[in-house]
Amino acid sequence: MVTRVTENMKYFLLTNNLSSVQDRCGELMLQLSTLKRINKPSDDPAGMTTVMNYRDMLASMEQYGRNIDGSASWLNITESTLSSVNDILVKIQEMALSQASATATAATREQAAAALQPLIDQILSLANTKLGDSYIFSGTKTGTKPFEAEAAVYAGGPANAAKGNTYKGTASVSGTYTGGTNITYVLKIVTGGDLDKATYQVSTDGGKTWGVESKVGDLGAGTVDLGNGLSITFQAGTFGEGDTFTVDAFALGYYRGNGEEMTLNIGKDHTMHYSFSGEAVFTDKGAGTVDVFGTLNDLKAALAGNDAEGIRATLDGLKEAQQQVTRYQAICGTRTNDLEVTKSNYEALKENITGLMSNVEDADVTKLITDFQMKQIALQASYYMAGEIGKISILNFIK
Amino acid sequence: MSNLGSVMNVAKGALLSNASAINITGSNIANVNTPGYSRLRPIFSSVGGAAELQFGVEVSGAERLYDKYLEVQLVQQNQKIGYYEARKGVLDRVEGIFNESEGGGLNESLTKFWNAWEDLSANPTGTVQRDALVSAAESLATVFRQKAEELQEVQQDMNVSVSETVSELNSYLASIAELNEKIVQTVTGGGNASDLLDKRQDNLQKLGAMIDFQYIEDASGAVNVFTSNGKPLVEGGRTWKLETAVNPDNHDYYNVVFQDEPDEAINGCFSKGKLAACLEARDITVGGYLDKLDSLAANLVAAVNDQHRSGYDMYGNGGGNFFDPVTDAAQMRVSTAITEDQGKIAASTSVDRDGNNASAIAAIKDSLLMGGGTATLSDYYSALMARVGQDVKDTNSSLDHQTVIMNQLKSQRETVSGVSLDEEMINLMKYQLGYNAAGRLAATVSALMDTLMSMTES
Repeated sequence: MVTRVTENMKYFLLTNNLSSVQDRCGELMLQLSTLKRINKPSDDPAGMTTVMNYRDMLASMEQYGRNIDGSASWLNITESTLSSVNDILVKIQEMALSQASATATAATREQAAAALQPLIDQILSLANTKLGDSYIFSGTKTGTKPFEAEAAVYAGGPANAAKGNTYKGTASVSGTYTGGTNITYVLKIVTGGDLDKATYQVSTDGGKTWGVESKVGDLGAGTVDLGNGLSITFQAGTFGEGDTFTVDAFALGYYRGNGEEMTLNIGKDHTMHYSFSGEAVFTDKGAGTVDVFGTLNDLKAALAGNDAEGIRATLDGLKEAQQQVTRYQAICGTRTNDLEVTKSNYEALKENITGLMSNVEDADVTKLITDFQMKQIALQASYYMAGEIGKISILNFIK
Repeated sequence: MSNLGSVMNVAKGALLSNASAINITGSNIANVNTPGYSRLRPIFSSVGGAAELQFGVEVSGAERLYDKYLEVQLVQQNQKIGYYEARKGVLDRVEGIFNESEGGGLNESLTKFWNAWEDLSANPTGTVQRDALVSAAESLATVFRQKAEELQEVQQDMNVSVSETVSELNSYLASIAELNEKIVQTVTGGGNASDLLDKRQDNLQKLGAMIDFQYIEDASGAVNVFTSNGKPLVEGGRTWKLETAVNPDNHDYYNVVFQDEPDEAINGCFSKGKLAACLEARDITVGGYLDKLDSLAANLVAAVNDQHRSGYDMYGNGGGNFFDPVTDAAQMRVSTAITEDQGKIAASTSVDRDGNNASAIAAIKDSLLMGGGTATLSDYYSALMARVGQDVKDTNSSLDHQTVIMNQLKSQRETVSGVSLDEEMINLMKYQLGYNAAGRLAATVSALMDTLMSMTES
């Protein structure tokens, strides 16, 4: 059977083919200009998801890399500071040894005592080293200067009222702190109201965990026993819910920071402790075993007092102090190493992922260009056909 | 016995018949580009009795060439094409909203947001880091709001489209009914309704692009149009018009109802055509994307706020909400307490200003909050994007496929009903020849008459 081909059909087919070739050409041109196979989600929905996942991974690694760099510079500063402290401690040990011997006289000891003071000051200033705005040895209280020249114990004073508190009266702490380590007490108002209505909770770890809530009326007299010899007294006034009062209690000694370490994420579920607390490095409390400044001041006193026995008594302490500092110097090295390994892992992984991502989203240029040329030829053929189609007609042949 | 007079009559018939055949050919040529036109063919038939030796000719009418079943298939195919074209239009817009192949967009904003928390954890008291975090959080909230608003705009536009489509299809229903009446009149009066039939068919095709329906031609020549579940839309000259009614249970969007039953929504009657596509896109497709975006925003806001409230700000106060506690992406905002005072960002787990709470918030990016504990926020968003991409891809390939079938059907229709100029020109020559020959016949008879007359003179 002969199919009737009508005029409409001819032109319909022609325009249809032209627009489909044009459409495909446009798509290829887009791919050629971006050199990407996936330019919108529908080009390859699954591929798009993969690319997004890779992109997320790369961005996370970028951030972890920044965190690693930050931790590394902190550890570097810590390491060089500890190394300087170590040098000075060696010098002091030599001095103590020579002044402990029988050849030393009251005059040499007095001289040594005078020479010791600047060295102690140096160690003190090293222990108070700052990186940016942060003291590196004050645990997580990076805004607090960690060491003071004189030993002291917290013996009361005003409690710190948080800025947003409703309560406008004064809160004062009385008593002498008898605890072994530095503690940040936080008292939080759970139910607001006047003294006889309000209830509170107390935290002994800076607000991370809380004790049981008090009963209504417990605050009636205005005094709360914090424990360890301290109590806090409020003037009459009205509390708001969530009002907090902080007490930085420190044990007898030179240290004012806390015993915690600063941390950063350097990977998924991978946390890096990048700081040491001054408590661990320079005191005999918490993780520390020897009171560095105490020992040094003992030595100074013994020297000044021409007390050979007293000088000898500090020798063990000095040695231990040096060991303690060296130990943390070594830990710095291990942690820096850990950071470097993690970082180079990330570098390798980044390269892998970039490669994988390119496999998924990048276009095969050779194939693209060949395809494009083929479509160009098809387009030319269609245009030629469009030019010729009107020329052939029965009208040309009948007169 | 024959006589010259009857031969003259035959010649007259032949002249008239060929002339009307040329007339019909003329209409075909004139309508070569008229959409929906079905070509006509003259019906020649011989006239004359068995007792006579000669037969005359007459054109008893014009036959309209068309295939009834093909026309039904075309209407059905139009319903599919109408549906997929409208759906593609919507989804292309939505894909634009979700296209992040060049980076940017929500995913990047999320990453920047988490990274800003990481930076803050490294320097918990830094004002620069706090400012950077607030601006990252604000731009994240803005992206969420924009995307939600853009989706809502698409829904609004679809809603307008529903009402426009309903009023347009009402006008087709009206003209089908009107044509029904005219056709019945013309056919009963013995006239040629070819043109009216073409017009009615064209209206049925256009109606097909809007809704799915069935139609039956009754004995009188009128077509009756029914919805897919059998409710009448047109019966003879009568129409049951549709209307839109505001549905307060669905964001005040329109329901489609019959004018005489304004309380009964018939949205579910339509599964093909533009109307179904608009309803589905508005309520299910785009509505679904928006629900997912809302759920993403709600989970993000809740997780960040929970963690934020458990920390402490620069001043030693417990943290408040970081984002306004909302569940709609369109309402997402950083809480004003934070934007007014960056110190209120609770970066620390204790009053000692460690950066651990910021770390904990940054770690939310890896926690499996979505999909019943199977996906992170980013995973969920990628999956949403892939869903959009897949929907667009499926619609495009369905449309391509249906278009191929449509083109096939159109070609078939052309083969049966379309005008071929070659054919018409040859017919024209043929009828011209016939006309010329009939003229010669008349001239010959006239000469014979002359001969006869001159015989009586001499």
